[in-house]
Amino acid sequence: MEPGVFQEVRTMLRIRNLKCFYGRIRAVSGVSLSVRRGEIIALIGANGAGKSTLLNAICGLHPQWNGEILIEKQSLSGLKPPDIVKMGISLVPEGRMLFPPLSVIDNLKLGAYVRYRKKEHREIEGDLGTVLELFPVLKERMKQPAGMLSGGEQQMLAIGRALMARPRLLLLDEPSMGLAPFLVRLILDVLVQLKGQGMTVLLVEQNARAALQIADRGYVLENGKVILDGNASELLTDHDVKRAYLGKDYREFYEGRA
Amino acid sequence: MPIWNRRDECYDADERLQQQMERLQSALNRAYNVPFYRNHFARHGVEPTVVESIEDLSRIPFIEPCHFSENYPYGLFAVPLRDIVRIHTARGNGPLPVVSGYTKKDLLIWRELVARALTAAGVSSTDILQVELDPGLANWGRDYKDGAESVGAGVIPMTTLPPEKQLMILKDYKTSVLVTSASGAEQLVYHLFRANLNPNELALKTLILVGDAPGDNVRGNLEEQLHVRAWLHHGLNEVPGPTLGFECEERNGLHVSEDHFLIEVVNPDTGELVKAGEEGELVLTTLTTRAYPLIRFRTGDRVRLLHGACPCGRTLRRVEWLPHRSDDMMVIRGVKVYHKQIFHILTRELGFEPPLYRFMAVKQQMMEYLEVSLGVNESIFSDEIKEMQKLSQKLSDELSLEIGLPVAIRLKEQGSFT
Repeated sequence: MEPGVFQEVRTMLRIRNLKCFYGRIRAVSGVSLSVRRGEIIALIGANGAGKSTLLNAICGLHPQWNGEILIEKQSLSGLKPPDIVKMGISLVPEGRMLFPPLSVIDNLKLGAYVRYRKKEHREIEGDLGTVLELFPVLKERMKQPAGMLSGGEQQMLAIGRALMARPRLLLLDEPSMGLAPFLVRLILDVLVQLKGQGMTVLLVEQNARAALQIADRGYVLENGKVILDGNASELLTDHDVKRAYLGKDYREFYEGRA
Repeated sequence: MPIWNRRDECYDADERLQQQMERLQSALNRAYNVPFYRNHFARHGVEPTVVESIEDLSRIPFIEPCHFSENYPYGLFAVPLRDIVRIHTARGNGPLPVVSGYTKKDLLIWRELVARALTAAGVSSTDILQVELDPGLANWGRDYKDGAESVGAGVIPMTTLPPEKQLMILKDYKTSVLVTSASGAEQLVYHLFRANLNPNELALKTLILVGDAPGDNVRGNLEEQLHVRAWLHHGLNEVPGPTLGFECEERNGLHVSEDHFLIEVVNPDTGELVKAGEEGELVLTTLTTRAYPLIRFRTGDRVRLLHGACPCGRTLRRVEWLPHRSDDMMVIRGVKVYHKQIFHILTRELGFEPPLYRFMAVKQQMMEYLEVSLGVNESIFSDEIKEMQKLSQKLSDELSLEIGLPVAIRLKEQGSFT
């Protein structure tokens, strides 16, 4: 590393010692992580590692947690999902969760539902234009039902809908799932573009390689615990990341070593 | 004076706490995959999840120097051997050495830590840096070479040349930074004056002293005699980076890179944390080490944490290393010598436990060496002088080889021990 230029560290999201439960089962066991303003952070790990649970806890969709979740020093404890959206956090959920019978434009407008109450009609129209510029293919299909779109188009719509809330922090849960490689690239390119506009992104992915290629830093989750964190470029070449991603049991390596 | 990594060295307190917490939990989770740590924690009835704050670390049991030899050679490695790219051997306090391994990432971290420390001492790409350490500190020599190369300095790596030749290189190669121990520097001064060389003939401007803490006047004398500014670094054998602690231009305690190490100061008798500013034993936890994590390692070093912001701008806490220790170790020319280690070597070479022995550091012509006095009883005694000389030579050779210091053996009548 060369001598660095000082940059003020501004943390957008700070999680300390988060534990999430499904009844008596602990899915996340004491995770601490932070996302700085303007960063893309990749949260990677195998199935069942606790990635989606962690995202859902941030959004208020999984209320059974304890620990500390702070957005710019404001606690999210006890808040309901609409309050959390109002605080500037939007989730692009796994499986997109669109409203299939509704048109593309209506799905997008639904993303801004909290803003309609604030009578931000003019700003919302402006943002619709911005989102459609970001995803020109959606402009062509504006009136089509969301259910008629391809997988890639649906993912774009899900991201566009999340952006309509004007988030400070965008959370994405497995955006590459079920997409062809060129579409994955396209979606990730959009995230890089958003980062360029100052967006902060927390990206949950099983496609570790793709996620780390665009991320600044990454955390590797295994069995609900962080086992590794670091710069994305370093994690990309890390053996442990490969193992965690594949979901293999570490102990076989250690105990079989001697 | 420039700062090598301004972001990581100058984090605010809140960010530092978050960073340490994240890294601590991750380090504990990784260490828990090592059978030694898993069993060690289980014996004390804890799991990594009990650590919900930095303060909770005190619930995790200590590891002691004996655990290194008990797990010789690879028992403390936390990654498969195929991920290891370097293996170091250091003396332990038992019969077996301490073996530490490094992944590629670990080496990059060590490189950066040395670069930080050298930058704090004003070393830059315009310098020629010469490393002169005893063979017992060869691991540190490699780290200094790597770190100095990162800074862009021209490096003259460690050699085993006699003092006269070292002096020749120092003068002719226009060395501007010398890395050595305090006793090594004193020896250099001795040879410098013996050779009638004027310090002004040297390009030397910076002296990095590592290993043995210089006595009260030693640093000042060296600065005056060599016309240099001297900076202190501190390292440990077990984490063979020589720059666990480093001085900045304020020279008021040594900064510890807290983004990579978590430090605690405990009462050596009770193991409890001491009050702020009180003297105690340094306990070290590595936060980023991949291959060879240390969780609450009792270093035996006596220290005091210094409080208050350092005017240099670094927020890394400062530690004052004190000359006495909490264990049976002494430092000679920067090389750590353990009582148990000498006992084991003597026992092995004699074939039985030495009846009576003592060891001490002796200085002759400004050169410090280890002197071991061995009490002679009937099992050791021979009426052939040749045999006694042979035994003395053998013990000296073996001790010297394993400790990495010159060793003199004195055979004494048992009755002459006082």
